[in-house]
Amino acid sequence: MGIPSAPLVTKAFKDLALLNAAKRGMPHERICFTPHPVWGKTPEEVRAYVEGPDPVSGKPLMKEIVDALTVPLSDEEKRSGMVSVSVGPPAFTDTADNLQELYLNNGYTDFLPVILPTEEKVEAMMRATSHRPDETVGKMAAGAYPPWSYNVRQVAASAVMAGCRPEYFPIVLAIASSGVASLFSSTNSFAFAMVINGPIRDKLEFNYGIGALGPFAQPNATIGRAWTLMSKNLGNGGIPGDTYLGSLGNNLNYNNVVIAEHEDANPWVPFHVQRGFKKEDNVVSLFRGLGVVPGQVARGSSANENVQFDYQMSDLFSTFTGFFGALIIADPLVAARLKEQGYDTKEKLTDWLYKNTTQTVKDYKSRNYAYLFDYPRALRGDEPWASWYKMPDDALIPHFPHVSDINIVVAGGQTNAYPQAGNLSYGVSVSIDKWM
Amino acid sequence: MNRRKLLSLLGMSPAMLATSKAEAQQHKAGPARSSSSGPEKLTVVNPKGTPPAIQLIPMAPRLDSLNGKTVFLVDTGFHGSDVLLHQIEAWFGRNMPSVTVVFRRKAGPYMEDDPNLWKEIKANGNAVIMAVGH
Repeated sequence: MGIPSAPLVTKAFKDLALLNAAKRGMPHERICFTPHPVWGKTPEEVRAYVEGPDPVSGKPLMKEIVDALTVPLSDEEKRSGMVSVSVGPPAFTDTADNLQELYLNNGYTDFLPVILPTEEKVEAMMRATSHRPDETVGKMAAGAYPPWSYNVRQVAASAVMAGCRPEYFPIVLAIASSGVASLFSSTNSFAFAMVINGPIRDKLEFNYGIGALGPFAQPNATIGRAWTLMSKNLGNGGIPGDTYLGSLGNNLNYNNVVIAEHEDANPWVPFHVQRGFKKEDNVVSLFRGLGVVPGQVARGSSANENVQFDYQMSDLFSTFTGFFGALIIADPLVAARLKEQGYDTKEKLTDWLYKNTTQTVKDYKSRNYAYLFDYPRALRGDEPWASWYKMPDDALIPHFPHVSDINIVVAGGQTNAYPQAGNLSYGVSVSIDKWM
Repeated sequence: MNRRKLLSLLGMSPAMLATSKAEAQQHKAGPARSSSSGPEKLTVVNPKGTPPAIQLIPMAPRLDSLNGKTVFLVDTGFHGSDVLLHQIEAWFGRNMPSVTVVFRRKAGPYMEDDPNLWKEIKANGNAVIMAVGH
């Protein structure tokens, strides 16, 4: 812009602000800091911030701000040109114990032991794809950072580390090609999920029966873990204070929510067919959000002949943030019951859920995400938020902005009729076959 | 910026500062073997991706002073940003009354660009104070 600026950031985000400014080409940007947090403070409390010191420099905050705009630039601040970036040598040689320690200390792992990516194991992994080792697979960033790029060989290293068998590699490559990182910088501690569809579920022996979401099958466990290792190693995500700010973190980040759809027991069309693929295609679909909750916590969840799963799901949704969508994971018994009750397509069920999961405008406006994301959209005239913000407080509006925000997949062992629901938004579906 | 931060900036773990037992070497064709009495040594792949080079951006020239100038206060939309910026506006009124202060809320959620606002500031402003992260 060519106009001097003084960015103000709260102290809790000091490292993030300084590092992100540097990565974007201004390593000496004059960032000023206030105490943390500003949120929830009275004007009198904030006035004390303004009249007090910058908690990083210790100097009076307003003097810092005025100086940031008026003190002449140093030679360093006027610099232009390119700075190359190194991540160290392409390989390391040592004993297995020392290498495990090195990988741990360098932040390459999820703090669990890894399979060391020896040349032999990486080569074996790469033989499971027709793509060249040096072929660029994609770019990834764990938030609003300049993305990193990576090739087949670099993806293979994380796949080996996660414990993947070579035959899993095309799925790992498909996930990598999406550019979606499973670790995200937000303070909200995001969770991520993937849905696997197609014949590859049986060929690789994914578990979509009893314990479908649990640690009971190698592809479910290791491919999910590979996504997080890739997010750390290929996308430079998961560095607390720098590229990760989740206040509490999320246990699902260890290997994410991996769902192989139980297509044979699914009374509706498989998820990938809904997205325009053929049934015989192998596809991985990715989701992002906050986590998964069990249907048993919903009102009216007692299992009897009158159980109303549609009302259960609607009840679960009422606690969800509308910033993300909903992903219903229905045991086949639940799906069969819903079909018996007249929901002969997924669309009929999602349409009912969209129309019947409502909230008052007053409740909606009280939600954090509404103020942070939807209110600015409403001010800009974006729909449906602009209309929602003009309605009276007691008006009822849908919980989610669009019916397409609600998705359904079928998985589980049919030992009981329980659904689970994720506050998760659909992102993208990627062909696995393309990476074979 | 200290060395620890610089390493992090460069996509390298600060742990690289510590003396590692592992010997960083260039790529070798196969596993290296130690002497018959020592443990076997392995050669493993560095799993990191490729970070982009950084294009350094010269900072905008500074003003001689703020006296008589117009300063835009830009609210990113984070909770409390408006309260903070209005207190800064009041501080200018009490302490530097010759400064004209213009308050603007950036359009759209905090992570979205607002090129129209930047055009307005470039046309009518001399400096920007933008706030805030949480």
